Amino acid sequence: MTPDIPAIQTQALSKIYENGRGCRNITLRIGQGEAFGFLGPNGAGKSTFVKTLVGLVRASGGEGSLLGSPIGSLEARRHIGYLPELYRYPEWLSGEEVMKMHAGLLGLRGEEARKRIRAGLDEVGIGRRGSDRVKQYSKGMQQRLGLACALLGDPSILFLDEPSSAMDPVGRREVRELLLELKKRGKTLFLNSHLMEDVEAVCDRMALMLNGDMIRSGTVGEMLKVKVRWRFKVGGFSPVLLDWLREASGLPVSAEQTEHAEEMSWEAPTWLEAELEHEEQAGLLNMLIVEQGMTLYESSMHQEKLEDWFLEAVSGRDQRGEQR
Amino acid sequence: MKTMIMTTWQEMLRRKMLLITLVLTALFLAVFWFIADTVALDSSGSGDLLGQFARRSAILSLGFFFGGFVVAFLAIFSSFSVISGEAEQGVLQSVLTRPIPRWKWYVGRWIGYVSLIGGYALVLFVSMVLITKFHAGMTRDYGDIWVSLLLFVGAVPALVSMSMLGSSLFSGIGNGVFMTMLYGAGWLGGMVEKVRGFLPVEPDVEATLSRTGALLSLLMPADGLNRRMQYILTQGAGETLPFLTGGSPPSQAFVVYAAIFTIFAFGVGLWLFKRKDF
Repeated sequence: MTPDIPAIQTQALSKIYENGRGCRNITLRIGQGEAFGFLGPNGAGKSTFVKTLVGLVRASGGEGSLLGSPIGSLEARRHIGYLPELYRYPEWLSGEEVMKMHAGLLGLRGEEARKRIRAGLDEVGIGRRGSDRVKQYSKGMQQRLGLACALLGDPSILFLDEPSSAMDPVGRREVRELLLELKKRGKTLFLNSHLMEDVEAVCDRMALMLNGDMIRSGTVGEMLKVKVRWRFKVGGFSPVLLDWLREASGLPVSAEQTEHAEEMSWEAPTWLEAELEHEEQAGLLNMLIVEQGMTLYESSMHQEKLEDWFLEAVSGRDQRGEQR
Repeated sequence: MKTMIMTTWQEMLRRKMLLITLVLTALFLAVFWFIADTVALDSSGSGDLLGQFARRSAILSLGFFFGGFVVAFLAIFSSFSVISGEAEQGVLQSVLTRPIPRWKWYVGRWIGYVSLIGGYALVLFVSMVLITKFHAGMTRDYGDIWVSLLLFVGAVPALVSMSMLGSSLFSGIGNGVFMTMLYGAGWLGGMVEKVRGFLPVEPDVEATLSRTGALLSLLMPADGLNRRMQYILTQGAGETLPFLTGGSPPSQAFVVYAAIFTIFAFGVGLWLFKRKDF
């Protein structure tokens, strides 16, 4: 496969349903081996976009390709593994039989199919329960089975819609590790998830969807802007010292707002905050605070998390999921 | 396509649909055996051959009256949620992203249902014909039996095609109701025709009843095929029980219509399925 062909490419791809919802004019280029995170609140259009890419819904406009083949074509579908968001497998089948059915649809037969089924179930941790009927599986186990099915054809591109939403913390961690392993193997990952830590840990780039539009995209680092906020808990603080501290350090220090200004008294500890570029600046502030006779109880660093960024990005916009 | 045929068979066997039907059918056949034995007896010893043939034909019609219902409901209730139900549950989404054309999925499912339910219809038909032959002395020539068999089994593709078409349009439950009503309409059309056949009514009322019955039968030709089949098998001699075989049987043209109906329902269902968003 030519490495310069993008794994996923779309040009103004849209899918508008009769009720006006869906996704609009999404232009993306995701390289081979890249892990891409797709974020957005419920009803933002993420799943619609993925369904359009995997050929489950017909695009209303624009175009797209997977490894150079038009989306929805048989050739494009040969490259993909897909774990839908809401899915169930026929409960009258066992895990192995579900895999066997998918192997049949992939054209895998005989020993090759058996080997891959066994390896796939083992990889997601349900190898011992393979002969049990799906109706005896917990939600988390069904999700693992879904992952095994998605991986069965050794696809180049994996579309995973909330791959660990029904799992317990151990399961989530295992899935995250599996995704990192798949990324190492050179698979292209397209991850739709509400679990920010998954996206943060696995993805190289990400995009934010809101009301059917892609409002931001970039690398995870760019999105978070690597902001570092320092907090200092001090005793013996007086508001007059704040101006002095700013002047002496040249740093944007602020005191945490309290409902009643009078509470900011000599005795009560106060929180000071500052966005700093490096640790030395925090050291300087620590020194100045102590020099002025204040008591420094605590000095801590808070890096912005993807969840904070996400909440900030969607706050103040239209009501969740509603069309503008 | 083979995978989908096998999956359909597996589904019907694992969900015990076929098992329940077979057990109940065995019970029915045992009762039918007893009735055939009893009713066909010529206790008076009059040697009235025509009367005997009529009684035996009525027994056969009674059997197929039941058989038609069982085959129809098995066809409807096994396939009414095949598309919408699987899409609602999220089963289809992972299957349709595999590198197979959608038509193969659709045709595979269709063949799966038609072959298994058609096989059941074949067993039921042969059982009833044999019971009436050995226990009621009802014999027919092989040509009539073959044509009757084709008509009896022919209801299955008509019902499955329409059920799968409905499943592309309506929700699982909605299609179940739709198909039951549609089959009911076709059955009612037959009943109207039977009523017309034995009620003493004015010629213009008779014509109206006949038209109404024919139109209702066109909505779902499964029951019409069954009536045509009974007519061929009994040569109309079952009219001793007018609610079973009264009135005029559907014509040869009706059989051609049923074939066109099946092909049309299959084609439209497939076309809709290929264009459907999941």
